[in-house]
Amino acid sequence: MEFNKTWQDMLEQLKTWARVNSPWAIHFNSGSCNGCDIEILATLTPRYDMERFGLKLQGSPRHADVLICTGPVTRQARDRLIRIYEQMPDPKFVIAVGSCALSGGAFQGCYNILGGIDQVLPVDVYVPGCPPRPEAIIDGVVKLLEQLKAGYQPAARRSGVLRPVPVPVTDAG
Amino acid sequence: MSTLNALITLVVFPGGLAILLTGMIYEWVDRKLVARLQNRMGPRWYQPLADTVKLLAKEEVLPNGVHAQMFYALPVIALAGALTATLYVPVFGLRPAYSFNGDLIVTVYLLSVLTLCMGLAGANTLNRYALIGATRTLTQLFSYEAPFLLALLGPALVAGSWQIGEIADYAERHWLILTQPVGFLVAIIGLMGKLELPPFDAPEAETEIVAGALTEYSGRGLALFRLGKGVELVIGLTLVAAFYLGGVANPLLFFAKTLLLLAGMAAMQTLLTRLRIDQTVGLWWRYGALLVLAQYLAVIVWQGVMA
Repeated sequence: MEFNKTWQDMLEQLKTWARVNSPWAIHFNSGSCNGCDIEILATLTPRYDMERFGLKLQGSPRHADVLICTGPVTRQARDRLIRIYEQMPDPKFVIAVGSCALSGGAFQGCYNILGGIDQVLPVDVYVPGCPPRPEAIIDGVVKLLEQLKAGYQPAARRSGVLRPVPVPVTDAG
Repeated sequence: MSTLNALITLVVFPGGLAILLTGMIYEWVDRKLVARLQNRMGPRWYQPLADTVKLLAKEEVLPNGVHAQMFYALPVIALAGALTATLYVPVFGLRPAYSFNGDLIVTVYLLSVLTLCMGLAGANTLNRYALIGATRTLTQLFSYEAPFLLALLGPALVAGSWQIGEIADYAERHWLILTQPVGFLVAIIGLMGKLELPPFDAPEAETEIVAGALTEYSGRGLALFRLGKGVELVIGLTLVAAFYLGGVANPLLFFAKTLLLLAGMAAMQTLLTRLRIDQTVGLWWRYGALLVLAQYLAVIVWQGVMA
Protein backbone atom coordinates (compact mmCIF):
# COMPACT_ATOMS: atom_id res chain seq x y z
CA MET A 1 0.00 0.00 0.00
CA GLU A 2 1.51 3.31 -1.05
CA PHE A 3 0.71 6.44 0.87
CA ASN A 4 1.84 9.09 -1.61
CA LYS A 5 -1.07 8.46 -3.96
CA THR A 6 -3.50 11.26 -4.62
CA TRP A 7 -7.20 10.65 -4.22
CA GLN A 8 -7.65 10.96 -7.99
CA ASP A 9 -5.39 7.94 -8.46
CA MET A 10 -7.36 6.02 -5.87
CA LEU A 11 -10.63 6.93 -7.62
CA GLU A 12 -9.16 5.87 -10.96
CA GLN A 13 -8.10 2.55 -9.43
CA LEU A 14 -11.57 2.02 -7.99
CA LYS A 15 -13.15 2.72 -11.38
CA THR A 16 -10.80 0.30 -13.12
CA TRP A 17 -11.51 -2.37 -10.49
CA ALA A 18 -15.27 -1.94 -11.01
CA ARG A 19 -14.93 -2.01 -14.80
CA VAL A 20 -12.85 -5.17 -14.72
CA ASN A 21 -15.30 -6.91 -12.42
CA SER A 22 -18.55 -5.97 -14.08
CA PRO A 23 -18.46 -6.16 -17.89
CA TRP A 24 -22.06 -6.17 -19.12
CA ALA A 25 -22.37 -7.37 -22.66
CA ILE A 26 -24.67 -6.95 -25.60
CA HIS A 27 -24.59 -9.29 -28.55
CA PHE A 28 -25.11 -8.23 -32.16
CA ASN A 29 -25.11 -10.31 -35.31
CA SER A 30 -24.27 -8.26 -38.37
CA GLY A 31 -24.62 -11.03 -40.95
CA SER A 32 -23.24 -14.19 -39.39
CA CYS A 33 -24.40 -17.70 -40.28
CA ASN A 34 -25.56 -18.10 -36.61
CA GLY A 35 -22.79 -20.57 -35.78
CA CYS A 36 -20.92 -18.06 -33.63
CA ASP A 37 -24.17 -16.85 -32.07
CA ILE A 38 -24.98 -20.35 -30.90
CA GLU A 39 -21.50 -20.63 -29.38
CA ILE A 40 -21.98 -17.28 -27.58
CA LEU A 41 -25.29 -18.51 -26.18
CA ALA A 42 -23.57 -21.73 -25.11
CA THR A 43 -21.01 -19.55 -23.30
CA LEU A 44 -23.81 -17.95 -21.32
CA THR A 45 -25.42 -21.25 -20.28
CA PRO A 46 -24.93 -22.69 -16.75
CA ARG A 47 -22.17 -25.00 -17.96
CA TYR A 48 -19.77 -22.11 -18.70
CA ASP A 49 -21.55 -19.52 -16.51
CA MET A 50 -20.11 -16.12 -17.35
CA GLU A 51 -21.72 -14.54 -14.30
CA ARG A 52 -18.74 -15.67 -12.24
CA PHE A 53 -16.72 -12.97 -14.05
CA GLY A 54 -19.57 -10.54 -13.53
CA LEU A 55 -20.53 -10.70 -17.22
CA LYS A 56 -24.25 -10.32 -17.78
CA LEU A 57 -26.07 -10.25 -21.09
CA GLN A 58 -28.07 -7.04 -21.29
CA GLY A 59 -30.98 -6.30 -23.59
CA SER A 60 -30.33 -2.60 -23.97
CA PRO A 61 -27.15 -1.11 -25.49
CA ARG A 62 -27.48 1.73 -22.96
CA HIS A 63 -26.69 -0.71 -20.14
CA ALA A 64 -23.81 -2.51 -21.86
CA ASP A 65 -20.03 -2.07 -21.73
CA VAL A 66 -18.95 -4.75 -24.18
CA LEU A 67 -20.32 -5.21 -27.69
CA ILE A 68 -19.85 -8.82 -28.78
CA CYS A 69 -20.08 -8.86 -32.59
CA THR A 70 -20.38 -11.86 -34.85
CA GLY A 71 -20.31 -12.19 -38.59
CA PRO A 72 -19.05 -10.07 -41.47
CA VAL A 73 -20.61 -6.63 -41.83
CA THR A 74 -23.17 -6.60 -44.59
CA ARG A 75 -24.11 -3.34 -46.26
CA GLN A 76 -27.58 -3.66 -44.72
CA ALA A 77 -26.34 -4.23 -41.17
CA ARG A 78 -23.63 -1.57 -41.20
CA ASP A 79 -25.83 1.35 -40.15
CA ARG A 80 -27.50 -0.71 -37.42
CA LEU A 81 -24.14 -1.85 -36.08
CA ILE A 82 -22.84 1.71 -35.88
CA ARG A 83 -26.09 2.83 -34.30
CA ILE A 84 -25.94 0.19 -31.57
CA TYR A 85 -22.30 1.07 -30.93
CA GLU A 86 -23.10 4.75 -30.58
CA GLN A 87 -26.00 4.07 -28.23
CA MET A 88 -23.59 2.52 -25.74
CA PRO A 89 -22.24 4.85 -23.04
CA ASP A 90 -18.50 5.45 -22.76
CA PRO A 91 -16.19 3.57 -21.99
CA LYS A 92 -17.12 0.78 -24.38
CA PHE A 93 -15.31 -2.19 -25.84
CA VAL A 94 -15.83 -4.34 -28.92
CA ILE A 95 -15.08 -8.05 -29.16
CA ALA A 96 -15.17 -9.58 -32.65
CA VAL A 97 -16.05 -13.28 -32.48
CA GLY A 98 -15.41 -15.71 -35.33
CA SER A 99 -13.42 -15.76 -38.58
CA CYS A 100 -16.03 -13.71 -40.45
CA ALA A 101 -15.97 -10.96 -37.85
CA LEU A 102 -12.18 -10.87 -38.15
CA SER A 103 -11.82 -10.60 -41.89
CA GLY A 104 -15.03 -11.49 -43.67
CA GLY A 105 -14.07 -15.16 -43.60
CA ALA A 106 -15.89 -17.31 -46.10
CA PHE A 107 -17.87 -14.30 -47.30
CA GLN A 108 -14.79 -12.21 -48.11
CA GLY A 109 -15.12 -10.42 -51.42
CA CYS A 110 -18.87 -10.86 -51.72
CA TYR A 111 -20.66 -7.92 -53.33
CA ASN A 112 -22.77 -7.27 -50.21
CA ILE A 113 -19.98 -7.56 -47.61
CA LEU A 114 -17.80 -4.76 -46.30
CA GLY A 115 -15.41 -7.18 -44.53
CA GLY A 116 -14.65 -7.67 -40.84
CA ILE A 117 -16.02 -5.69 -37.91
CA ASP A 118 -12.88 -3.53 -37.86
CA GLN A 119 -13.88 -2.04 -41.21
CA VAL A 120 -16.67 -0.29 -39.32
CA LEU A 121 -15.87 -0.17 -35.59
CA PRO A 122 -12.66 0.03 -33.52
CA VAL A 123 -12.21 -3.55 -32.25
CA ASP A 124 -10.49 -4.38 -28.94
CA VAL A 125 -10.32 -8.19 -29.00
CA TYR A 126 -10.34 -10.65 -31.91
CA VAL A 127 -11.49 -14.22 -31.22
CA PRO A 128 -10.70 -16.47 -34.21
CA GLY A 129 -12.46 -19.73 -35.00
CA CYS A 130 -15.25 -21.01 -37.20
CA PRO A 131 -17.05 -21.02 -34.83
CA PRO A 132 -14.81 -20.41 -31.80
CA ARG A 133 -15.48 -22.72 -28.86
CA PRO A 134 -17.02 -21.24 -25.70
CA GLU A 135 -13.62 -21.63 -24.01
CA ALA A 136 -12.09 -19.43 -26.71
CA ILE A 137 -14.76 -16.77 -26.22
CA ILE A 138 -14.20 -16.82 -22.45
CA ASP A 139 -10.46 -16.55 -23.12
CA GLY A 140 -11.08 -13.48 -25.29
CA VAL A 141 -13.19 -11.81 -22.60
CA VAL A 142 -10.65 -12.58 -19.88
CA LYS A 143 -7.83 -11.22 -22.07
CA LEU A 144 -9.76 -7.99 -22.44
CA LEU A 145 -10.31 -7.79 -18.68
CA GLU A 146 -6.62 -8.41 -17.99
CA GLN A 147 -5.65 -5.72 -20.46
CA LEU A 148 -8.05 -3.38 -18.71
CA LYS A 149 -6.40 -4.17 -15.40
CA ALA A 150 -3.06 -3.22 -16.94
CA GLY A 151 -4.40 0.21 -17.85
CA TYR A 152 -5.60 -0.41 -21.39
CA GLN A 153 -7.68 2.30 -23.04
CA PRO A 154 -10.56 1.34 -25.36
CA ALA A 155 -9.63 1.14 -29.04
CA ALA A 156 -12.13 3.90 -29.78
CA ARG A 157 -10.34 6.30 -27.45
CA ARG A 158 -6.85 5.49 -28.70
CA SER A 159 -7.66 5.96 -32.36
CA GLY A 160 -9.67 9.08 -31.60
CA VAL A 161 -12.25 7.98 -34.16
CA LEU A 162 -15.64 7.77 -32.51
CA ARG A 163 -17.70 8.19 -35.64
CA PRO A 164 -16.37 5.65 -38.15
CA VAL A 165 -15.64 6.90 -41.64
CA PRO A 166 -18.39 5.88 -44.08
CA VAL A 167 -17.28 3.28 -46.57
CA PRO A 168 -17.99 4.34 -50.18
CA VAL A 169 -20.39 2.03 -51.95
CA THR A 170 -18.68 0.63 -55.01
CA ASP A 171 -20.29 -1.03 -57.98
CA ALA A 172 -21.31 -4.57 -57.32
CA GLY A 173 -19.03 -6.79 -59.32
CA MET B 1 -26.62 16.61 19.81
CA SER B 2 -30.05 15.61 18.59
CA THR B 3 -29.19 17.09 15.18
CA LEU B 4 -26.09 14.95 15.03
CA ASN B 5 -28.09 11.89 16.03
CA ALA B 6 -30.68 12.62 13.38
CA LEU B 7 -27.98 13.08 10.74
CA ILE B 8 -26.32 9.78 11.65
CA THR B 9 -29.72 8.06 11.53
CA LEU B 10 -30.41 9.49 8.10
CA VAL B 11 -27.02 9.13 6.44
CA VAL B 12 -25.10 6.33 8.12
CA PHE B 13 -27.13 3.93 10.26
CA PRO B 14 -29.77 2.52 9.99
CA GLY B 15 -30.79 4.66 6.99
CA GLY B 16 -28.37 5.72 4.26
CA LEU B 17 -25.08 3.84 3.86
CA ALA B 18 -25.89 0.82 6.02
CA ILE B 19 -29.14 0.06 4.21
CA LEU B 20 -27.53 0.61 0.78
CA LEU B 21 -24.79 -1.89 1.61
CA THR B 22 -27.32 -4.35 3.04
CA GLY B 23 -29.38 -3.96 -0.12
CA MET B 24 -26.33 -4.89 -2.22
CA ILE B 25 -25.54 -7.88 -0.01
CA TYR B 26 -29.13 -9.11 -0.25
CA GLU B 27 -29.06 -8.66 -4.01
CA TRP B 28 -25.92 -10.79 -4.13
CA VAL B 29 -27.52 -13.48 -1.91
CA ASP B 30 -30.51 -13.54 -4.24
CA ARG B 31 -28.39 -13.81 -7.40
CA LYS B 32 -26.08 -16.41 -5.87
CA LEU B 33 -28.98 -18.57 -4.68
CA VAL B 34 -30.67 -18.42 -8.08
CA ALA B 35 -27.36 -19.31 -9.72
CA ARG B 36 -26.77 -22.28 -7.41
CA LEU B 37 -30.31 -23.52 -8.00
CA GLN B 38 -29.58 -23.36 -11.74
CA ASN B 39 -26.37 -25.36 -11.17
CA ARG B 40 -24.09 -22.39 -11.91
CA MET B 41 -21.24 -20.86 -9.92
CA GLY B 42 -22.92 -17.49 -9.69
CA PRO B 43 -21.47 -14.03 -9.06
CA ARG B 44 -18.76 -13.20 -6.52
CA TRP B 45 -19.72 -11.57 -3.25
CA TYR B 46 -18.72 -8.03 -4.26
CA GLN B 47 -20.55 -8.22 -7.61
CA PRO B 48 -23.37 -5.71 -6.85
CA LEU B 49 -20.82 -3.25 -5.45
CA ALA B 50 -18.69 -3.52 -8.61
CA ASP B 51 -21.81 -3.12 -10.78
CA THR B 52 -22.85 0.00 -8.89
CA VAL B 53 -19.42 1.64 -8.93
CA LYS B 54 -19.01 0.87 -12.62
CA LEU B 55 -22.42 2.33 -13.47
CA LEU B 56 -21.68 5.45 -11.40
CA ALA B 57 -18.38 5.92 -13.26
CA LYS B 58 -19.96 5.52 -16.70
CA GLU B 59 -21.19 8.16 -19.08
CA GLU B 60 -24.85 9.07 -18.65
CA VAL B 61 -26.44 9.49 -22.05
CA LEU B 62 -29.26 12.01 -22.34
CA PRO B 63 -31.46 10.67 -25.15
CA ASN B 64 -33.18 12.97 -27.64
CA GLY B 65 -36.69 14.12 -26.86
CA VAL B 66 -36.75 13.62 -23.08
CA HIS B 67 -37.54 16.17 -20.42
CA ALA B 68 -33.99 16.65 -19.12
CA GLN B 69 -34.75 17.76 -15.55
CA MET B 70 -37.17 14.89 -15.05
CA PHE B 71 -34.71 12.45 -16.59
CA TYR B 72 -32.08 13.42 -14.02
CA ALA B 73 -34.43 13.91 -11.05
CA LEU B 74 -36.48 10.69 -11.22
CA PRO B 75 -33.75 8.25 -10.09
CA VAL B 76 -32.91 10.53 -7.16
CA ILE B 77 -36.56 10.76 -6.08
CA ALA B 78 -36.94 7.00 -6.39
CA LEU B 79 -33.94 6.29 -4.19
CA ALA B 80 -34.96 9.00 -1.72
CA GLY B 81 -38.42 7.45 -1.36
CA ALA B 82 -36.97 4.02 -0.62
CA LEU B 83 -34.43 5.43 1.85
CA THR B 84 -37.10 7.45 3.67
CA ALA B 85 -39.19 4.31 4.08
CA THR B 86 -36.23 2.74 5.93
CA LEU B 87 -36.73 5.11 8.86
CA TYR B 88 -40.19 3.70 9.67
CA VAL B 89 -39.40 -0.03 9.62
CA PRO B 90 -37.53 -2.11 12.22
CA VAL B 91 -34.44 -2.83 10.08
CA PHE B 92 -31.49 -4.69 11.67
CA GLY B 93 -33.78 -5.74 14.52
CA LEU B 94 -33.79 -2.20 15.94
CA ARG B 95 -36.83 -0.12 16.82
CA PRO B 96 -37.99 2.07 13.91
CA ALA B 97 -36.01 5.32 13.93
CA TYR B 98 -39.18 7.38 13.63
CA SER B 99 -42.71 6.35 14.40
CA PHE B 100 -46.14 7.91 14.38
CA ASN B 101 -49.71 6.69 14.19
CA GLY B 102 -50.47 5.51 10.66
CA ASP B 103 -46.88 5.15 9.48
CA LEU B 104 -47.73 1.77 7.92
CA ILE B 105 -49.69 3.48 5.15
CA VAL B 106 -46.99 6.11 4.64
CA THR B 107 -44.31 3.43 4.36
CA VAL B 108 -46.26 1.43 1.78
CA TYR B 109 -46.74 4.57 -0.30
CA LEU B 110 -43.07 5.56 0.04
CA LEU B 111 -42.21 2.13 -1.31
CA SER B 112 -44.48 2.76 -4.31
CA VAL B 113 -42.60 5.95 -5.16
CA LEU B 114 -39.82 3.87 -6.73
CA THR B 115 -42.25 2.03 -9.03
CA LEU B 116 -44.04 5.26 -9.94
CA CYS B 117 -40.72 6.91 -10.77
CA MET B 118 -39.77 3.98 -12.98
CA GLY B 119 -43.10 4.25 -14.79
CA LEU B 120 -42.60 7.97 -15.30
CA ALA B 121 -39.00 7.43 -16.40
CA GLY B 122 -40.20 5.02 -19.09
CA ALA B 123 -43.01 7.32 -20.21
CA ASN B 124 -40.58 10.25 -20.33
CA THR B 125 -38.56 8.83 -23.21
CA LEU B 126 -39.51 8.40 -26.86
CA ASN B 127 -38.33 4.81 -26.90
CA ARG B 128 -41.19 2.44 -27.71
CA TYR B 129 -39.83 -0.37 -25.56
CA ALA B 130 -39.52 1.99 -22.61
CA LEU B 131 -43.12 3.11 -23.19
CA ILE B 132 -44.43 -0.45 -23.21
CA GLY B 133 -42.33 -1.16 -20.13
CA ALA B 134 -43.76 1.88 -18.38
CA THR B 135 -47.32 0.81 -19.21
CA ARG B 136 -46.64 -2.65 -17.85
CA THR B 137 -44.90 -1.29 -14.73
CA LEU B 138 -47.87 0.91 -13.89
CA THR B 139 -50.39 -1.85 -14.71
CA GLN B 140 -48.52 -4.15 -12.38
CA LEU B 141 -48.45 -1.40 -9.72
CA PHE B 142 -52.24 -1.18 -9.82
CA SER B 143 -52.60 -4.93 -9.62
CA TYR B 144 -50.28 -5.85 -6.73
CA GLU B 145 -50.55 -2.70 -4.63
CA ALA B 146 -54.03 -3.28 -3.23
CA PRO B 147 -53.54 -6.97 -2.26
CA PHE B 148 -50.09 -6.18 -0.79
CA LEU B 149 -51.50 -3.38 1.33
CA LEU B 150 -54.45 -5.55 2.39
CA ALA B 151 -52.05 -8.33 3.36
CA LEU B 152 -50.10 -5.92 5.56
CA LEU B 153 -53.31 -4.58 7.09
CA GLY B 154 -54.28 -8.06 8.35
CA PRO B 155 -51.75 -7.92 11.22
CA ALA B 156 -52.72 -4.29 11.82
CA LEU B 157 -56.31 -5.42 12.30
CA VAL B 158 -55.51 -7.98 14.99
CA ALA B 159 -52.90 -5.76 16.66
CA GLY B 160 -55.42 -2.91 16.78
CA SER B 161 -52.88 -0.35 15.63
CA TRP B 162 -51.66 1.28 12.41
CA GLN B 163 -48.17 1.88 13.76
CA ILE B 164 -45.44 -0.43 12.46
CA GLY B 165 -43.64 -0.53 15.82
CA GLU B 166 -46.77 -1.59 17.73
CA ILE B 167 -47.78 -4.20 15.14
CA ALA B 168 -44.25 -5.63 15.28
CA ASP B 169 -44.48 -5.79 19.11
CA TYR B 170 -47.78 -7.66 18.85
CA ALA B 171 -46.35 -10.00 16.18
CA GLU B 172 -43.42 -10.91 18.42
CA ARG B 173 -45.88 -12.59 20.76
CA HIS B 174 -48.02 -14.19 18.01
CA TRP B 175 -46.78 -16.00 14.93
CA LEU B 176 -49.29 -14.55 12.51
CA ILE B 177 -48.21 -16.89 9.71
CA LEU B 178 -50.14 -19.59 11.59
CA THR B 179 -53.34 -17.61 12.03
CA GLN B 180 -53.21 -15.70 8.71
CA PRO B 181 -51.42 -17.95 6.20
CA VAL B 182 -53.24 -16.43 3.20
CA GLY B 183 -52.09 -12.96 4.17
CA PHE B 184 -48.49 -14.18 4.41
CA LEU B 185 -48.61 -15.77 0.97
CA VAL B 186 -50.16 -12.71 -0.63
CA ALA B 187 -47.63 -10.43 1.09
CA ILE B 188 -44.61 -12.43 -0.09
CA ILE B 189 -45.94 -12.73 -3.65
CA GLY B 190 -46.88 -9.06 -3.59
CA LEU B 191 -43.31 -8.26 -2.63
CA MET B 192 -42.05 -10.24 -5.61
CA GLY B 193 -44.43 -8.29 -7.84
CA LYS B 194 -43.21 -5.03 -6.33
CA LEU B 195 -39.58 -5.89 -7.01
CA GLU B 196 -40.41 -7.19 -10.52
CA LEU B 197 -38.73 -10.51 -9.84
CA PRO B 198 -39.63 -13.55 -11.94
CA PRO B 199 -42.41 -14.70 -12.46
CA PHE B 200 -43.65 -11.09 -12.33
CA ASP B 201 -40.89 -9.61 -14.49
CA ALA B 202 -43.09 -8.84 -17.50
CA PRO B 203 -42.37 -5.07 -17.06
CA GLU B 204 -38.67 -5.62 -17.72
CA ALA B 205 -38.84 -8.75 -19.85
CA GLU B 206 -35.57 -8.56 -21.74
CA THR B 207 -36.62 -11.13 -24.32
CA GLU B 208 -39.61 -9.02 -25.37
CA ILE B 209 -39.10 -5.34 -24.59
CA VAL B 210 -35.30 -4.89 -24.23
CA ALA B 211 -35.11 -3.66 -20.63
CA GLY B 212 -38.56 -2.22 -19.98
CA ALA B 213 -38.99 1.25 -18.55
CA LEU B 214 -35.27 1.71 -17.87
CA THR B 215 -34.17 0.98 -21.46
CA GLU B 216 -32.85 4.50 -22.04
CA TYR B 217 -31.12 4.87 -18.68
CA SER B 218 -27.39 4.44 -18.49
CA GLY B 219 -24.73 5.15 -15.89
CA ARG B 220 -25.77 7.09 -12.81
CA GLY B 221 -29.55 6.92 -13.29
CA LEU B 222 -29.52 3.16 -13.73
CA ALA B 223 -27.24 2.77 -10.69
CA LEU B 224 -29.60 4.79 -8.48
CA PHE B 225 -32.64 2.80 -9.63
CA ARG B 226 -30.82 -0.46 -8.90
CA LEU B 227 -29.77 0.76 -5.46
CA GLY B 228 -33.38 1.77 -4.77
CA LYS B 229 -34.52 -1.73 -5.67
CA GLY B 230 -31.99 -3.27 -3.29
CA VAL B 231 -33.20 -1.04 -0.46
CA GLU B 232 -36.80 -1.93 -1.25
CA LEU B 233 -35.93 -5.62 -1.14
CA VAL B 234 -34.58 -5.27 2.41
CA ILE B 235 -37.50 -3.14 3.61
CA GLY B 236 -40.09 -5.46 2.09
CA LEU B 237 -38.49 -8.54 3.62
CA THR B 238 -38.28 -6.75 6.98
CA LEU B 239 -41.95 -5.83 6.89
CA VAL B 240 -43.10 -9.36 6.03
CA ALA B 241 -40.76 -10.97 8.58
CA ALA B 242 -41.74 -8.53 11.31
CA PHE B 243 -45.47 -8.93 10.70
CA TYR B 244 -45.82 -12.63 9.94
CA LEU B 245 -42.75 -14.55 11.12
CA GLY B 246 -42.80 -13.73 14.83
CA GLY B 247 -41.09 -10.36 14.68
CA VAL B 248 -37.48 -9.23 14.33
CA ALA B 249 -36.54 -8.42 17.93
CA ASN B 250 -32.74 -8.57 17.54
CA PRO B 251 -30.21 -8.44 14.68
CA LEU B 252 -29.72 -12.21 14.70
CA LEU B 253 -33.43 -12.89 14.29
CA PHE B 254 -33.63 -10.14 11.68
CA PHE B 255 -30.96 -11.64 9.43
CA ALA B 256 -32.11 -15.23 9.97
CA LYS B 257 -35.74 -14.54 9.10
CA THR B 258 -35.22 -12.15 6.19
CA LEU B 259 -32.60 -14.42 4.61
CA LEU B 260 -34.94 -17.39 5.02
CA LEU B 261 -37.66 -15.44 3.21
CA LEU B 262 -35.16 -14.44 0.53
CA ALA B 263 -34.21 -18.09 -0.01
CA GLY B 264 -37.89 -18.92 -0.50
CA MET B 265 -38.20 -16.09 -3.02
CA ALA B 266 -35.09 -17.27 -4.89
CA ALA B 267 -36.57 -20.77 -5.13
CA MET B 268 -39.82 -19.36 -6.53
CA GLN B 269 -37.88 -17.26 -9.06
CA THR B 270 -36.14 -20.37 -10.30
CA LEU B 271 -39.22 -22.57 -10.37
CA LEU B 272 -41.76 -20.34 -12.05
CA THR B 273 -41.84 -18.92 -15.56
CA ARG B 274 -42.82 -15.42 -16.52
CA LEU B 275 -46.52 -14.54 -16.45
CA ARG B 276 -48.07 -12.37 -19.13
CA ILE B 277 -49.15 -8.99 -17.81
CA ASP B 278 -52.85 -9.89 -18.07
CA GLN B 279 -52.22 -13.10 -16.14
CA THR B 280 -50.47 -11.08 -13.42
CA VAL B 281 -53.40 -8.72 -13.10
CA GLY B 282 -55.85 -11.64 -13.12
CA LEU B 283 -53.88 -13.47 -10.44
CA TRP B 284 -53.93 -10.48 -8.10
CA TRP B 285 -57.47 -9.32 -8.52
CA ARG B 286 -59.25 -12.66 -9.01
CA TYR B 287 -57.43 -14.59 -6.28
CA GLY B 288 -55.08 -12.41 -4.19
CA ALA B 289 -57.39 -9.57 -3.24
CA LEU B 290 -60.47 -11.80 -2.83
CA LEU B 291 -58.69 -14.35 -0.63
CA VAL B 292 -57.26 -11.66 1.63
CA LEU B 293 -60.68 -10.05 1.94
CA ALA B 294 -62.20 -13.44 2.84
CA GLN B 295 -59.52 -13.83 5.50
CA TYR B 296 -60.34 -10.36 6.82
CA LEU B 297 -63.95 -11.39 7.18
CA ALA B 298 -62.90 -14.53 9.06
CA VAL B 299 -60.66 -12.50 11.40
CA ILE B 300 -63.39 -9.96 12.10
CA VAL B 301 -66.02 -12.63 12.75
CA TRP B 302 -63.58 -14.50 15.01
CA GLN B 303 -62.82 -11.34 16.96
CA GLY B 304 -66.54 -10.70 17.30
CA VAL B 305 -67.15 -14.25 18.58
CA MET B 306 -64.31 -14.03 21.09
CA ALA B 307 -65.30 -10.59 22.37
